[in-house]
Parts: sequence; structure tokens; C-alpha cells
Amino acid sequence: MRAVNKFVPSVLALTLLVAGVTARGADYPLMSRAAPDFALRAFAGDNVRLSEHRGEVVVLVFWSSRCHTCGAQLEALNRSYATYHSAGLQMYGISVDDDERHASDFVASYRVGFQMLDDPQKEVGRLYQVDRLPMVVMIDRSGIVRAAREDFDSASRVPYLRELKRLLDQ
Amino acid sequence: MPFQHTQSRSPRGPRRLASAALVVVAALLTQSGTVRAQAPANPATPTPPTAAAATAQAPTSAPAPAAPGGAAENAPSAADTRALDEQTQDLKKQVVDLNRDLFVLEEELLYPANTQVAVFVSMDVGTFFALDSVELKIDQKEVANYLYTPREVEALMKGGVQRLYVGNLKVGSHELVAFFTGKGPNDRDYKRGASIRFDKGIGAKYLELKINDRQRRLQPEFEIKDWE
Repeated sequence: MRAVNKFVPSVLALTLLVAGVTARGADYPLMSRAAPDFALRAFAGDNVRLSEHRGEVVVLVFWSSRCHTCGAQLEALNRSYATYHSAGLQMYGISVDDDERHASDFVASYRVGFQMLDDPQKEVGRLYQVDRLPMVVMIDRSGIVRAAREDFDSASRVPYLRELKRLLDQ
Repeated sequence: MPFQHTQSRSPRGPRRLASAALVVVAALLTQSGTVRAQAPANPATPTPPTAAAATAQAPTSAPAPAAPGGAAENAPSAADTRALDEQTQDLKKQVVDLNRDLFVLEEELLYPANTQVAVFVSMDVGTFFALDSVELKIDQKEVANYLYTPREVEALMKGGVQRLYVGNLKVGSHELVAFFTGKGPNDRDYKRGASIRFDKGIGAKYLELKINDRQRRLQPEFEIKDWE
């Protein structure tokens, strides 16, 4: 019993940590604000400017080659992109890698349908206050940040898809 | 701890009650106002507030009970919607005008004519060069670094002129250097620079970065024009 009591606070702390990490809701400083505009080079293809996608739901996925769950998340997000792209969903993966070569290798190993952008100076990462990877920012059709999530697990997919559908229906 | 809790909560209770009471009073006042407004128009039969308001706005129209039920209610509400739509459009126009005035005022304050320097980018044809980015340095200090998307390049090729930079410079001699990056002939990576020394006088200074095609050499040409 004593041993169990010993673990209770740590389990509780872990649960709270996970709960705090899963969704950056009201505490995300950019929530309900205009998404900061940016222009980035793509690993393959044309340059991308966010403000050119007004009228579409935009999902930004910040990743790094050193993040273990990022690859799996990109693949999962790619499925939602393939499903909803025709409904007005635009998705961009943004690398915040220090080493461009590592980022390129990572992009080559995960073939996704959406464009991967390079943010070597981490300017966009700073703009969007990315402090944990992977991080997903969802922007509505009028260019307002509506959701931010900092996790990837099976439980987070349902709220993500629900939020995505809600934004697409607007 | 519980004491602190009740202490902190106790002043909020009456405040909430007071605000709730205020809301109720406001709602009642609004309702009574509506009732008073509809009373002279139609004292006998109570009609919905929208119809009553519409009747008050259009005194020439027939009274509500005379017209057959739904049609009479629909006609004024449509007019009402149109009026509201016009008002909204008018408000939008006012907001746009105000925004424009504020923008002009901001520009005048931030970049007064006597210190203002503006750099524009234009492109002619662009067969031999696909623009990717422009880096601008004034007096060896980077002031702008702009990445172009295909849409922006297309707009430039259609004759658009982009204001790349606006800033302030003191009177005297200055140097401007521009680096153009993109794809050159045969789809090769291409980077070229152009520079100009210019004298900043008392008035505003306008410079134009021009990207042209030099047909004879089958090469792009980068030129900086000083608009006097």
C-alpha cells in the first residue's frame, strides 16, 4: 500500500503533464488571432506564402528529423490530407531542422502528398511559438488560428479530425 | 483556506446579482420600448416585433391586420433586410475609407517625405529568368529579403510593380545593392547583383529594380533606375 502511495503523485503528475501537452488550447498565444504570414522555400516545388491560401483551411505541421513521433504523425496527417484536400484543405510540413541535409533525407524517407517547407532560420517556428515537436496549427478559412496540438497518439486523432471537419464545414 | 475561499467569493455574489439585475432591467426596458413603438401602429392585435418595427418604418403601407397573414409580414421584412443590407454596405465602405485614411496617415508619420526612400520591383517579359528572391542592402545593411511565389512572379510579369521596401534615409550619398536569385537560361540556378550610388536630397527618393530580357544575349538584365 505504501509503495502504491509512493507512485500515486508521480502518476498524477504524468497524467497532468500529458493532459497539458495534448492540446494547446486557450493558453496558445496565437489562438483566435490572425495567423502570422510567412513565405518559405519548399524542399521540392514552388515557394509558399501563407496569405495566398486565404479561403482554405490550412494545417501547419512543424517537425524535425530528430523527433521520433514526427514521421508517424506526418503519415497520419497525409491520410487526412488525401481525404479532405478536395474540400479545401491545404497542409504544409515545416522543418525546423538545424541541418538541411538531415531534413532532406527525412523528407525523402516519408513520402507525403503535401508540400514540405524548409525553415532553416526557424523564423516561422518562432512566429508560431513552437516549443515542442511535433506541433500542429490549424488555421481557418479567414486566416485565424483555431487550434494547436502538440502531441501525436491514437487518442489525439479523433479531436483533430473533429476540429478539421468543423473548420472545413465553415 | 476555506475562509479565504469564501472571502474571495463573497464580493462577487452581489456583483453578479447586480449585473444580472441590470441585464434584466435592460431587457425589460427594451421590451417596453418595442411595445410602445408598436402600440400606436396596431393597438388591437399583437404582432411580432419585426413586423411592428417595419410598420413603423414604412407608414404608407397598409396596417397588418388588413393584409392576409403571411404575405404582409414577408413584404416588410424583405424591405427591412434590404435596408439592413444597405446599412451594412455603407458601414463597410466607411470602414474601408477609414482604413485607407489611417494607412496614409501612418505612412506620412513613419516615412516623412524628406527622409523617405522607396524601392520598387518590376519585371519585363521574364523569359530568361524565373525570379525566386530579392535581397536588398542599403549602405551594406540588409533591409529586405523577399521570397516570391509563382503567383507573385506572374503578377510582376503581367506588369505589376511591387513596393519592396520603404524606409528612411538621411540626406547624402548612399549605396544600394540588390541580389536577384532564381532560375536563369537552361533552368540553371542564377544569382546576379546590381548596385547604384544615389544622392538622397530633401524630397522622397524612388528607386526601381528592373528585370528585363536582353534578347541579343539571351540573358536577363538587371537594372536599377533612379526616379528623379
